[in-house]
Amino acid sequence: MILYPAIDIRGGQAVRLLQGDYARETVYDADPVEAAKRWADEGAEFLHVVDLDGAKAGSPQNLDSVRRIATEVGCPFQVGGGLRDAESVAALLDAGASRVVIGTAALRDPEFLDAVVARHGERVVVSVDARGGKVSLSGWTEATEQDVAETVKELGGRGVARFLCTEIDVDGTMEGPAVEELRRIAAGTSAQVIASGGVGTLTDLEALAQLGADAPNIEGAIVGRALYERKFTVADGIAALA
Amino acid sequence: MSSARIAILDYGMGNLRSVEKALEHVGATATITHDVGEVRAADGVILPGVGAFPRAMERIRERGLDELIAERRDAGVPILGICLGLQLLFDSTTELGGAEGLGLLAGPVGALDADGLKVPHIGWSPVRWERESRLTEGIETETPFYFVHSFAPDPTVDELLGTAAYGARFACAAERDNVFGVQFHPEKSSAAGLRLLSNFAGVCASVPA
Repeated sequence: MILYPAIDIRGGQAVRLLQGDYARETVYDADPVEAAKRWADEGAEFLHVVDLDGAKAGSPQNLDSVRRIATEVGCPFQVGGGLRDAESVAALLDAGASRVVIGTAALRDPEFLDAVVARHGERVVVSVDARGGKVSLSGWTEATEQDVAETVKELGGRGVARFLCTEIDVDGTMEGPAVEELRRIAAGTSAQVIASGGVGTLTDLEALAQLGADAPNIEGAIVGRALYERKFTVADGIAALA
Repeated sequence: MSSARIAILDYGMGNLRSVEKALEHVGATATITHDVGEVRAADGVILPGVGAFPRAMERIRERGLDELIAERRDAGVPILGICLGLQLLFDSTTELGGAEGLGLLAGPVGALDADGLKVPHIGWSPVRWERESRLTEGIETETPFYFVHSFAPDPTVDELLGTAAYGARFACAAERDNVFGVQFHPEKSSAAGLRLLSNFAGVCASVPA
């Protein structure tokens, strides 16, 4: 499985939020490119970059950081945050991102999703966030009654090759990933699933690796705060996921 | 482009599924197997592997795969070793007290001389092609590939295909006739890695059965 170190950018800095709450932010690096370099030097295979300003504004706000990560770091990465139109998607891919991560707009705007999947194929990742099995939208401010596994299944049927599944209640807590929920989501789709939220220890990664042995389409895990707080290194995390 | 049938040799070490997925992605038919009949039916053989060389060789011998690999080589079937699989193709290693390898490529395998940098070497490093090859067609020299290793081979000049730098420059790809080996993980190396696997599948498809 792939360990995806997360780099969340807000106001040009690398930060972590607790449960997606902008008021509960910790700044870890003044320059997100430094964070990207550190994780790449420790052996990261792929990075996960989130433009938190973009998520709020509804269009990419940190293209310069994205460009610099592409030219200065030498590790492929995906970027999400506020992607709602084909131009923004193309701009991020042009800036050097290997993949784009689309969130709320993928669920609200099927035409947009179909268009970018048709054009960019596997370079499109759809992020589905959930609380207690139900999909949440708009930066987790809006709860729905849609079942997350059903949603993933349906979008997978429309050609989405890879999903990023975040369990909101554990995100940023380092209290362990939502293993059973991930198992349920993965069982309903043949697309790749990246697990996000709650990883705090190497034991958590080992639990995901074990899950991956049963559910081979669980492709990897996002790790954020645990890396920034040096609970373990990227190399140790990769070994635990292997 | 290719419908080559490729056998991924299963000797009980390492995650073979990512290799299988990558091969399927480039249009090859991949089978994870140690069955003699299935390996003989394949147009190409991949020797993957993660772990320690001596233990891997033990398992290969237990299953009689050493003789099967040599037989396939003699039949002209293309063989690609990946990571530990590349090292196993060489004559010997110094790892854990040392062991004999398969001897399909000439030279020893030794501990990576990283000039003080942390070992294992994990991460992306640009690979320089030292010669032209069917395996690397269409992949620019100095394209980054993803590595996870503590040892590296020391091939002969004739068989050296690629090098990378980590502290010091080391050999990371080798080739003799239809036997190829790469120290990096093409299945984890994005588009360039897929191109390399696609090239290998192309070589497999081009060799008459």
